This record gives sequence, C-alpha cells and structure tokens, in this order.
Amino acid sequence: MKDFLNNTWKHRAHVVMALPVFLVLFFIMYVPMAGLVMAFKNYDFTLGIWKSPWCGIDNFKFLIASKKIFINMTKNTVMYYVIFTAIGTFLNVVLAIAIDQFVFKKTAKVMQTIMIIPVFISYAAVQFIVYAFISTDTGILNHTFNMGIRFYTRKELWPTILTIVKMWNSVGYGSVLYMSVLAGIDTALYEAAEIDGANKWQQIWHITLPSLIPMITVMLLLSVGNIMRSDTGLFYQVTRNSGQLYDTTQVIDSYVLNAIFKNSNFGFTAATSFFQSVVGLLLMLFANGMVRKIEPENALF
Amino acid sequence: MAKKGNLDLAPSRREKKGIGQYILGFFLLLYTLFCALPVVLVFIAAFSDEQSINKNGFSFTPEKWSMAGMNAVLRYGSQLARSYAVTIGITVTGTLLGLLIMSMFAYSISRPDFRLSKFLSIYLLIPMLFNGGQLAGYIVFTSYYGLKDSFALLILPLMVTTMNVIILRTYIVNSIPSELMEAAKIDGAGEYRTFFQITLPLLKPSLAAVGFMMATAYWNDWQNALMYITSDNKKPLQLLLVNIQKSIEFLLNNNNVPAAARAAMGGGIPQYSATMATVIVVIGPIMVVYPFFQKYFIKGLTVGSVKG
Repeated sequence: MKDFLNNTWKHRAHVVMALPVFLVLFFIMYVPMAGLVMAFKNYDFTLGIWKSPWCGIDNFKFLIASKKIFINMTKNTVMYYVIFTAIGTFLNVVLAIAIDQFVFKKTAKVMQTIMIIPVFISYAAVQFIVYAFISTDTGILNHTFNMGIRFYTRKELWPTILTIVKMWNSVGYGSVLYMSVLAGIDTALYEAAEIDGANKWQQIWHITLPSLIPMITVMLLLSVGNIMRSDTGLFYQVTRNSGQLYDTTQVIDSYVLNAIFKNSNFGFTAATSFFQSVVGLLLMLFANGMVRKIEPENALF
Repeated sequence: MAKKGNLDLAPSRREKKGIGQYILGFFLLLYTLFCALPVVLVFIAAFSDEQSINKNGFSFTPEKWSMAGMNAVLRYGSQLARSYAVTIGITVTGTLLGLLIMSMFAYSISRPDFRLSKFLSIYLLIPMLFNGGQLAGYIVFTSYYGLKDSFALLILPLMVTTMNVIILRTYIVNSIPSELMEAAKIDGAGEYRTFFQITLPLLKPSLAAVGFMMATAYWNDWQNALMYITSDNKKPLQLLLVNIQKSIEFLLNNNNVPAAARAAMGGGIPQYSATMATVIVVIGPIMVVYPFFQKYFIKGLTVGSVKG
C-alpha cells in the first residue's frame, strides 16, 4: 500500500494529466449510469430521480403488459442489426477486394475518395436527399417511372429503403479497414500462386479471402455488443419520424428519443433503457470472451 | 492485426490491363456513381427553378435553372451567420479540448511503472460496455446539472470517447519510442514539458485522424442540439436543417428580410430549392475539408481500430 502511494506520488504529474478525462467521464458517463435506477422508481418530475418513490418491478410489469410496442421495437432493433451487419460486411469485403484488384491505382484512389463521402453527411441532411428520390409528388422515382407510390405511408417498403440508405452511407468507409489488411498481404504469395497456374478467382478464393477472415471475425464479434443500439438518425430523421411507419422502423433508441421529446411514459422508457443497457453489457462481455478465445490480441480487455 | 506500411493502396503487383480490368472498372464506376449522384442531385436541386420541381419533380436535368433557392437561404442572414458561428465554435472548442485532454490521458496511462494506470484503463473501458442510456443522461444533465439550453451540452457529451483514447494510446505505445521521453527527462525536462514538447508533436498524425473524426461528429450532431437547445442564438446548423420547415416560415415572417427581397421571391419562398440550398450550406465545409484529411484518418482508422 505504501509502495502504491509512493508510486502514485512519484507519478503525480500523470495523475494531474489524467484528471480532466477522468472528470468528464465521471459526469457525462458514470453519473447517468446511476440514473438507471429510474427503472425501479415511480419517477416524479418534482422530486427528481433519487427522491422519487421506489416501485419495485412495476415498470417491468408495465413493459410486459404493453408488450406489443416493446416486442416490436426490440424485434426491429435486432432485425436491422442483422440485415445491416450481414449485407454490410459482405459489401465491405467485396468492395475492398474489387478496389484492391483494380490496377488503375490513381482512378481507384479518386473513386474511393468519392465513395467515403456519404459517411460524412448527417442524417438530418440525408433525409432531404431521400425525400428527393421518393416523395410522392416530386420524387425522382415516382416521376421517372410514373409509379405513384406513397412511400412515406408504405411501411413494408422501409426495411429495403433504410438498408439502401445505410449501405450508401457506410460501405465505402467500412471497406477501408479491410483494404488495409489486403495491402499487408505478401505479394510473393500471389506470384507463387500465379506460377502454379492459379487464375484470378482462385487467387482471391485461396489467398485474399482467408487473409481477411480474422479481421471479419473480430469486427463481427465486436459489433455484437452493439446489437441493442442503433443509428438513431437513420431511424428518426430518414423516416421523418412518421408514426405510420413505426411497425417496421421504430427501434429502441428512436423510441426513447421520442419519449424524451413527448415527456411521457418515463417509467416504461426507463425499464426499456435498463433492458437495453443490461443486454448490451452481457452481449459485450460474451463477444469479448469469444474474441479472446479466437484472437487474444484483439480482445478489448 | 493491421499491418503498418503502405496502408491506403497496395502497390500494383499484377500490371496486366486485360478486359477483366475494364469490366471491374465499370462496376466500380457504377458504385461510385451510386455514392455520388445523390450528392450531385442536392446541388442541382438547389439551383433548380421551383416551378420546374413542382411540375416535373426533382430532376438531374431541370427545365429551368434559378438562383432563388440560394438567394433565399443567404437571406436567412443573421440566423444563418449565427448558426455557422455556433457550429464552428463548438466544433473547434470541442475538438481541440478533447484532443488535448485525451492525449494527456492516453500518455499518462501508457507510462510504464505507473501503477494507477491499470485502474484508469478499466475506468476508461467501462463506459464502452455499459451506459445509462439517453433518458437517464437527459434527466441528469437537465435537472441535476441544470444545463438546459447550454453550449456545454453540445460540447461535453462528444468530447471523450473510449475508442479515441485507445487509438491515441496505441499510437503512443507503438510509434513513439519511449527512449525519447527518457532522454528528455535525463536532460532535465519535467513531466509536463516532456509531454508538450516531445510527445505531443510526435503524436500529430494520430491527432489529425482522431481530430477529423471528432470534428465531423461535432459538425453533424443534431441529436444533442434537438434535445437540449431552445434559444435561437444557440442553434447550430444541423438544428436549422431539422427545423427547416419552421426555419423557412421564420424567414418569411422575419422582419430582417427586406420587402424588396420578399417581392423578388414572388411572395413565396422556393421551398424545395431553398431546402436543398440549406443542405449545401450545412454539408459544404466537410466536403471541402475532407480530401485533405483523408490520408490521415485512413491511417488512424487502421492503426488504432483494433486494440494494439
């Protein structure tokens, strides 16, 4: 103990340097964690979180009683996670390999620069771009193909629309990571394969893909911890927060945001948040454990 | 995992430019267009005549071009200028402060023989695993800290992220030889001086990468603004976009708009083109700055993305 104190005193400059981040994390991240007790309280504005009376698990009973909303948003959250992760990973890898194989490097560089741009456009802006394509009266799709589809009232179309928007937004950026792995492959491997008579496809299948597998595994596992969290802007802004579409577009994060704006249902929302945080924690621990087993050096902790 | 060296594009190894390459190029071009055309449409729509849009819908080839939308937006005048100032102020303050305190933290926890660093690392990691969620945050920030309608709520929540600290720490551990720091100490430099004069300058590539990502996050943040900001003079650009309908009405009834200007617009605001013009004004600066930072953030992304 005395050793430890001496060591800390010796490093007092480092303690001071670590202090600002320590404080920011404390007030921005740690204190709200305590706020999760709201899930077990009958929240009253005038009393605040701590003084509001305890109500045991009433909020969770409420959750189960109105399970339709809860199940719907949980289902959507998980469904979009699966769709985005599956298609996204596939496209990331395909794009990375395509750019890597392309021999006109200068052109490839320019193309890549353009492909990354969408990730930097906020969803608050993206919603207007989407609107320009699919609005009923002035949308490009309806005008060009004369379809007259009222997209903003047709909930069954939105999983597709949101997937396209999400891929447009993130694939160019997501492929960068895989390209860096490809750039690290020893070119001698390809040369040897060529001498042995392997064609392009065989080279990709036997050299390129296997070298990407570790990175794919790690990225997939690490993303598991975020199943319960969504890209709020995509679901809140791009859908214009339209109630008619909630059946297929409401995710936990957008529900909570709505509840905050409407200042309502805090008990239900707190229970949902609690569920989201706890499931997130369990998934994260599970995912990290898996990574630890497969690729120890990539585990987060 | 991520290998160092040439990280953006592999040196061309097989220089054969056969027919296959052109087919590949064709598909890549298609995807590039898929990414670019929606952005191009924004520019075209912003300069399209409102009547053309009403009649033919949005189009890449409008019947008639017009400056009316852009003019209308530029006449937001004081509010637009104000929002620009707010967004720039928040972005610059948040990014610089965040970089400074995160690199100090990253430096401290990467000191060998600093026993407290183990605790600090865990303390840093926990928020990534578990957090209170939006609702608890909202209530704590507004009712307990009393920060409703305050710039602090636009800056602080985005200032420190675990991932960014890990990226910086990884860079310090892997790319800055600790002998340099020790040599400085032997030469009599204090801890602070060592950090500011030796470590920080060497950390530049990583700071550029993290800084650009942070700046984009600040620039694009609409959610905190929507939750916490109520007064007009604190509204950042993104909020102007979110409330575009209101913004345009506001503009219509605003006394700042000279009567002559209103008459020139034909009594009405060109709604569609003005909206698109606002989008340009909001996303424009990032489009302009981004190519200069591309090489940094690609490097930063790959070196730090996975824990080293």
